[in-house]
Order: sequence, then C-alpha cells, then structure tokens
Amino acid sequence: MQDPYKLSECIIKKIKSETKDTNTYTLAFSNGSFISEEEFKPGRFILLSIFGFGEAAFSLSSLIRDGTFETTIRKVGNFTQKLHSCREGDKLYMRGPYGEGWPLDKAEGKDVLLVAGGIGLAPLKPVILYIAKNRSKYGTLEILYGARTPNDMIFTSELEAWRKIPNSILRLTVDAVPRGVKWNYKVGVVPILFEDMETTPDNAIVMTCGPEIMMHFVVKGLIAKGFSEDQIYVSLERRMKCGIAQCGHCQIGKKYVCKDGPVFAYSEIKGLPDLTI
Amino acid sequence: MIAKVCKESDLAIFFNKLLEEYDVAAPKKKKSLYEFNEVNSFEEVTLDYSTTILPPKKYLIPQKENLLRFAEGEVAFEEPQFKKKQVIFGIHSCDLNAFLLLDKVFMDKFPCPRYAKRRENLITIALTCNNPSETCFCESMGTGPTLSKGFDVLLTKINEKYLVESGSETGEKLIKLIKGKEASNKELEEKRRVVELAEQKFKRKIDVRNLPELIQKNLNHEMWRLLGEVDLACGQCVLSCPTCYCFDVRDELNLSLDGGIRYKEWDACFLLEFAEVALGGNFRRDRAARVRQFMGHNLGWGGASQYNVFNGEFKCVGCGRCIKTCPVGIDITEVAAVIKGEKNVTEVTALKNVLASIGEKNARSI
Repeated sequence: MQDPYKLSECIIKKIKSETKDTNTYTLAFSNGSFISEEEFKPGRFILLSIFGFGEAAFSLSSLIRDGTFETTIRKVGNFTQKLHSCREGDKLYMRGPYGEGWPLDKAEGKDVLLVAGGIGLAPLKPVILYIAKNRSKYGTLEILYGARTPNDMIFTSELEAWRKIPNSILRLTVDAVPRGVKWNYKVGVVPILFEDMETTPDNAIVMTCGPEIMMHFVVKGLIAKGFSEDQIYVSLERRMKCGIAQCGHCQIGKKYVCKDGPVFAYSEIKGLPDLTI
Repeated sequence: MIAKVCKESDLAIFFNKLLEEYDVAAPKKKKSLYEFNEVNSFEEVTLDYSTTILPPKKYLIPQKENLLRFAEGEVAFEEPQFKKKQVIFGIHSCDLNAFLLLDKVFMDKFPCPRYAKRRENLITIALTCNNPSETCFCESMGTGPTLSKGFDVLLTKINEKYLVESGSETGEKLIKLIKGKEASNKELEEKRRVVELAEQKFKRKIDVRNLPELIQKNLNHEMWRLLGEVDLACGQCVLSCPTCYCFDVRDELNLSLDGGIRYKEWDACFLLEFAEVALGGNFRRDRAARVRQFMGHNLGWGGASQYNVFNGEFKCVGCGRCIKTCPVGIDITEVAAVIKGEKNVTEVTALKNVLASIGEKNARSI
C-alpha cells in the first residue's frame, strides 16, 4: 500500500523575484521521476514540504517540461517565510499534484475569459501557456488582470509575450498608483475592466482566481452581463493538511476543496456555507 | 453463520481465553461512568454499560500518530507494529457503525497504511445495546440498538444468557471456543424481543427524512446565530464523537534542530484555528459558523461523502456523546427538530438562558 504522505524530493533550480514579496520557483525532481502533463493539468496543486515547517498547498504556475515546473509563492506566513529564505540548489519535498484543474477540455472551441486578481494570476498562467501552445483549439483569449499597485503585478516580464499570442487581449488595472510610478492602464478594482471587455456570454468559458471578495464581485458582474453560473469557474483556496479529503480542513459544506476543487463551476458551490463568493 | 447460546460464566471463560492470545479492550467502570480500556479479567468488564465517555475510535485513529521521522536528508515513514491482535469486546452498534464509516474515509480512495494495519489487526466483538441512555438516539440514525453486519462476533443478552452470533470467518472460529449449545429459533426470536424492548427505551429521536435538504435550505437560520452566542467552542463534542475524523498535521523538531517527526493529531472544526488561512483570514471565525459546520457535517452532508455518493448514510450515529459532554447543553436532536420545523428556537434547552436575558422578541431580530 502506497503511503499517501509519500514525498518526492525536488531541487530548486531557479528563483525569480516577481515582486518584493513574491517569487517564482522552478523545481525539478531530483531523481528524474516522471509526472505526465495530464497529472500536471493547469489548476491542480501540490503540497510543498519543509521539515520542521510542515506542508502547504500551492498551485502550479507553469506546465511541466522535462520534469521541471514552476510555482509562484507570496511570503505571507510561517511556511512561505521559510521558503523565501531558500536558495537555488536547495532541496524541497513535495506531494501531488492533486485536485480538479481548469476546464480546458470544456473550453475547446470557445472563447476564454481569464479574470485574475493579485497572485491569483499564478494558477491561471498555465492556462495561458496551454492555450498559446494549442492556439487553434480555442477562440479569443481575453485576460483581465488587476493588482493593488503596479509594483504588485507578477509575471510583468511575460505580459508582452502574452499580448502577442494571436487573437488575444490583455487588460490591466491597479487599485492605486503610488506617486512617482508610471502607469498607462486603468485604475480601479478588477470589475472595472468589464467596461471594455469584448468577450460575450454566447460561446465562452470564464476562469477566475483571486481573493474571494474579488471573485464575489467578478461573478456578480459577469452574471449581470448575461454569463451563466455554469460558465464561470472559480479557484478556491483553503489550508489543507492532507490533500486527499481526509483531514477536513478544506471542507465547505459537502465539498472538499482538495478533491472536488480547487476549481469549481460557480453553480457547484453557490449557496455553500462559509464562502464569501 | 453460527449462533450459540451460553451462560455468563461460559462467556467469562471465553473472555479469559481471548486474554491469553490477544490484547483485549472492553467497557469498564470509570467512577460513575464508563470507558473503553485494556482489561485483565472478565470481572473488570461492564456489559450493561450505556455509553463510554470517549468513543473507541482511538483504536483506529490514535489521538496522536507519527507519519514520518526526518533527519539530515533521510525520511523514514512509520507504521504501527503489533505483537498481538487487538480485540474490542462489547462494542455497541453505534460505535461499530462509526468504525464502518471511518473505513470508508481511510480505506477507500487514498487508503492510509497506518489505518489499514490497525483495522486488520482488530477483532470486533459487538454487543446489542439493551440499555440506551437518555441521550441515545441510534435507532433514529439506523445504527442501533443492534446490527446485522460489520462485526466478527455479536453478543445479545437474552434473559440471563448470551446469544452469540458470528459475522465473519474469524468470528466463526472464535465462537467455537465458547461452551454452549446451538441457538434455537425460539432464542433467535427472543433476541428480536430484546431489541424491540430496547427500541422502546429511546427518549430522543430525530426524523431524518429530508434533513440534509432542510439543513442546506436553513444555513441562515437564526438558531445558528443564537447557538453561537452560547457555544464555548471547546470542541468536546468533536473529541467525543465516534465519527469525527478530522486531523491536523504538524512537524516537531528535536532540540538539536537536525531532525524530528511529522505527526497527525485529532483536530476539531469547533476550534478557531481550524479554518484559518494565511494573513489572519478565517472562514469560520464566528462560533455560529462552527456550530453549523459540526451539525451540518453530522446531519446534512453525509458520512464519508468525500468518496461515496450520499445515500442516506449520516455521519452521526446517534451515540449521544456530544449531548452528554456539552457544557452548555447543546443538543443535536433539538437542532434537528428546529431545522425540521418541529420545535421553535425558543424551546431549545441551550438557548433558554440567552433568550431570557435578551428577550425573545430581540432574539428573533438578531
């Protein structure tokens, strides 16, 4: 019987600073173990492990290539603090990937609207990469991304490349622009981008990730624009101790975020308790 | 299946034979109450007990259990080692049904080798309950006072004798050790009468029909807010629940910081930290939300529903321990009655004081 808590060793190949508190880590399995692209489907998550500090769940922010993958992590607590003190070449342990990812199959032949807030762009990045790689399978790709300030935007070096993906639109906004910072795009919370949005409900799938309160207004705004509840997919975040629907920490009503999610159609989670969406 | 009838003195002899070969846990007196614990003779066992203080889940999911040990570059997973098989003697049907539910959580899609090892090492000698306590309602949940499968051996006290039935091959072998005669139809009929008599003793009941749907519809019921006012968030109900399986996983470094253990430990959704996330976020900060989570999981969202389609199997097995242990008198059967519309919030025992202090009219507008 395989122990569900079995760990795989990985090496930090590269650390890229995204903002003052967010890094992207490129990880590779040290024994060259193979995990298929299907396993690493965009939207799934892994549990990273540092002995003495425990385990924490993080979404993947890249596709897997030659056994290497990326995860983008903001320094917010005990575990991530420790992780941010790690250097290239250091060893980490991981389990997974777990969970249900983004509905990329369902989105085939449709326009795709991505709505991201802050570090919520991280789990959506593999969707962008996947669509770019399989461009003919999807319609228009429209990305709406908001952050607190221009300095809090992640993946800034990649945004230009995303604009160049054929038949794609990138719209940006920030909540506020500090004095002295140059900013050529919108100012306001994410739903402000709906004003110019081109995607219509006719033949589209929406995928959104960000703070729950942001997703609350995104869902509300999109429904007002005629999108249906089963067209909108959200990615939820909860602390997880097991990742396999046993520890109970991520339970919301009858749903377990680790097993039934983290990606849910809004219609699946609407009306569940202890949810602010 | 084998069914025998024996005298209590023969059961004692059988018990002593078990002691020779196995580790045996059984219900015994603890002051005025009862507990499951290791016993060394049949005299220590109390078979006419009502409910033990803590459920026997500790034999399957220990309060604290090591997952692995780590030291400089080495990781070693741990599994329990047993010298002898563990017999659990005299377990009531509510608690055994709880085991069957835990099996679904820990042995289905992601089987846990530690749980599986403990489970395989366990021999269950169940007991038809003929002494339901005031707080018991297993009959409502379909989990008692007796059961027809899931045990190795089932004991039922009929008159001054014991009817002993097997429910597995292990059970059949064990029953052969008992001196007694084959049960007659009359004695099997007598068991039915004993069960019926026990069924008449239940003081608490829940009408489970449509309960999951009604809980979902009543997530904003005023009762949750009011229960949140009186609830202490002590988590005793969770610790004493035979099916509460949630746990935390923690690391502990040794003094020299070069190694340590990763262990799992019982956790409780009633505690503030349970639904905490980074940056001080908490999805169940209010006690009302935590009461609703406990009650909702027990009565609304299905037992092991994470891997199995909900088919009317509740997490709650009706043992009544949460009612017994609650320091402020929150009663899950009253909660169900309010949700079902059979009872008014003002009639809920735990709320009487708070309602009296703020006035019924104000309480309604909370």
